Amino acid sequence: MSRLTIWLILGTTLTFLIGPFLIVIFAGASAGETLTFPPQGLSLKWYAKVFTVESFRDSFALSMFLAIFGTLTALLIGIPAAYALNRYNLPGAEAIRTIVAAPIIVPGIIVGLALLRYFVVPLDVTITMALFVTHTALVLPYAVRVVSSSLNNLRADMEEAAVILGCTRFQAFVKVVLPNIRGGILAAFILGFVTSFNEVPASLFLSGPGVRTLPIDMLSYMEITFDPSVAALSALLAFMSVAIVFVAERLLGFSRYV
Amino acid sequence: MSNAYVSLTGLTLSYGQTVAVPELNLDIRKGELIALLGPSGCGKTTTMRAIAGLLAPTSGKIMIDGADVTRTPANKRGIGLVFQSYALFPHLSAFENVAFGLRLQKQPDAQVRAKTEAGMATVGLTGFETRKPSEMSGGQQQRLALARSLVMEPKVLLLDEPLSNLDARLRLEMRNELQRVQKDTGITMVFVTHDQSEALALADRVVLMKDGKIEQLGTPAELYAEPSTAFAANFMGFENIFRLEGADLVSDHGRLPFGTEAAVPLLAWRPGGVAVGKGPHVGRVIASSFAGDHREYVIDSPLGQIKADASIDLPEVLLGQQVAFDLPQATARHLAA
Amino acid sequence: MFLNRSEGFALALPAALFTFLVFLVPVGILLSAAFQAEPGVWSLQGYVDFFSESLNQSVFLRTLKLGILVAGTSAVIGYAAAFCIVNLPASSRGRIFGLVVLPLMISPVARTYAWIVILGRTGIVNDVIVGLGLSETPIRLLFTETAVFIGLLQLFLPLMIISLVSAMENIPRDVVPAARVLGASWFQVFFRVILPLTKEGLVIGGTLVFTGALTAYITPAILGGSKVLMLETLLYQKVNVSNDFVSASVIAMILIVMCFSANLVLKRIASVRS
Repeated sequence: MSRLTIWLILGTTLTFLIGPFLIVIFAGASAGETLTFPPQGLSLKWYAKVFTVESFRDSFALSMFLAIFGTLTALLIGIPAAYALNRYNLPGAEAIRTIVAAPIIVPGIIVGLALLRYFVVPLDVTITMALFVTHTALVLPYAVRVVSSSLNNLRADMEEAAVILGCTRFQAFVKVVLPNIRGGILAAFILGFVTSFNEVPASLFLSGPGVRTLPIDMLSYMEITFDPSVAALSALLAFMSVAIVFVAERLLGFSRYV
Repeated sequence: MSNAYVSLTGLTLSYGQTVAVPELNLDIRKGELIALLGPSGCGKTTTMRAIAGLLAPTSGKIMIDGADVTRTPANKRGIGLVFQSYALFPHLSAFENVAFGLRLQKQPDAQVRAKTEAGMATVGLTGFETRKPSEMSGGQQQRLALARSLVMEPKVLLLDEPLSNLDARLRLEMRNELQRVQKDTGITMVFVTHDQSEALALADRVVLMKDGKIEQLGTPAELYAEPSTAFAANFMGFENIFRLEGADLVSDHGRLPFGTEAAVPLLAWRPGGVAVGKGPHVGRVIASSFAGDHREYVIDSPLGQIKADASIDLPEVLLGQQVAFDLPQATARHLAA
Repeated sequence: MFLNRSEGFALALPAALFTFLVFLVPVGILLSAAFQAEPGVWSLQGYVDFFSESLNQSVFLRTLKLGILVAGTSAVIGYAAAFCIVNLPASSRGRIFGLVVLPLMISPVARTYAWIVILGRTGIVNDVIVGLGLSETPIRLLFTETAVFIGLLQLFLPLMIISLVSAMENIPRDVVPAARVLGASWFQVFFRVILPLTKEGLVIGGTLVFTGALTAYITPAILGGSKVLMLETLLYQKVNVSNDFVSASVIAMILIVMCFSANLVLKRIASVRS
């Protein structure tokens, strides 16, 4: 194939995948009152307005909380699980792996409904707690998978060497394993953060009055208002994700973990 | 044996239902360089890992320097182990790799520094302190791993296939290095290898293992010249092994007259021990290769394939040609089993 | 040293127990509700009722159709794009691959919202149509199956490309030139060399895209609305509008069965081809 054909195919594909974002960025920079493209004059007023909408601020805070603490919790229980599945020759390891991976396989909306009806309501769990538990469960499979693959690349004999040099098992883990899977843990955190922050279907039924994640808040805002602020917010969120991924890629070659 | 420094008594190791090493007995003297030699799966690595404390024996006893260490955890056993993969810590500098164990013992900083520097000097790595393992060559990594174990002043140093990851030139260099270090420090060393030439060149005594059992134990000279079993003979390069029935040599393919009877069931010849160009038997050359000072032939004979080395001074026998050969009594090794 | 099993179980237990209790148990109960049209009475009545409504039938068929179309289209585009990417010089390959992965990191709400700007009544496409005089008034592009199809394709195409790129990277070097030298046309190269060697990637990518499209909520909600319902949006309606939990459970069961059978069918197709 000629270079021209290659770039033509890639150009078209990438335009389809990324082009719409560029349009959203401009649509959000409109000076007009309604969503149009090309925008009626340029202004940053919608970008500014996003920060003044109270529900956006609340839901952003909730989404940040869920993404950060949900992912940290998932890592806290996921790292030991990944370590156990990798290093111990456990009977039933496959079953444990399947159980832990299950939340990605089941459609999100079903997870949300099931948790609402058979976890939240009977146990009288608060909305924030319900969302926290759900997001932790949804992020856990990624945490286990990414940390596992980085443990796979770390030879077990390194820990044996540490033990022979005098470490206890726990010391060997802290002094030898952790420093060498730092990149994987960071990648798992970013992947988990992004997954949780962008999650909609499972949070849909669990969100309640006044307690909504940011993407769900955007969805309901769109139903009522048709101004360019959602475009501006979408653009800002896209920037945020791109910045995180860019920094991660620079720091540790993030894409090899995904 | 009274002068045993390390002694394994009735050592049995198993993985689940499979017994990798049944009832092994071995005594190692202080300051000795001993090789555990055998093909993969013979139990040599398993035995070594048991001495290190990485594997718990099913039964049996491990004594080191008069103390029973069978149940002592690996981190308290005072053993050094140089891994086949070196198992260096990639996140630490060369210096910190060597200092790792000393720091764990909470030795004072100045002492850690002095010992680490001395250790790196012993293996010729002075000046490499700040390098990461990934920035070092295979040979340097090997020596770094050696230094990391040596600074701990272990009672016994175990080495797992220490030369297998090096190229031919480095292997020779490292072989001399290991012997020098052993002579300088007087440390007891046990190394595991599948390469008979390595074992013969380095070790004071060689333990040839098969199926978890000791097939033969002796000095390199003894093993080389007087292998006692067909397995040992084959491992030591006696590639032509035949049964003796009455006065005939017998294989699965056929038989040839040998002339005399002997009290042993098996006879073996090295390729160099087979006479080519003259003799009572005739075969056909089916492969031939030039090896510098000799030619290596494969001869198709009534006994099947025979490997024979012929002097370069003899005229070359072309592929497919008939050639006379002999399996002389003088070069035959008598084997009991 | 490392074979202390109870220690291993203790380390794995929190994660396994957590997922089991807060995830598997509730989902299990929900799915069992799909077989209890009346509480406590086990029957398939829920399914009979569900499929007897023509709206439900058409939503089911539309979901299946869109899933297949999106998976099929992304396979075609995906092969072309992946083949181009693996043939790029190493320097630009990473960057282009990064651009393909990038959209996955961006909120699906933002990604879908872009299409409102493009396909809306005052969007670019309608501007062009009206501007060129192709139509007097803007035409309805949003809330159509086409809009949902485009949105889903954009959402999930990267997954197919990623799967195919990693499959193609595992093709041994010089196999394609070797086939060319032996006289294969590009068409034959694709069907006899590339396709058989990448079918595992195709199965993975196909499963991801198909199940992704089946279970996407945001795209049909924003671009389809109540005019173009898919199973996910129908489920949401059953719960929030008609309070019909039995139907919701039935839809949940159908979705899960569809996802798992997609995986099985694709695996079967891949093994038959070899």
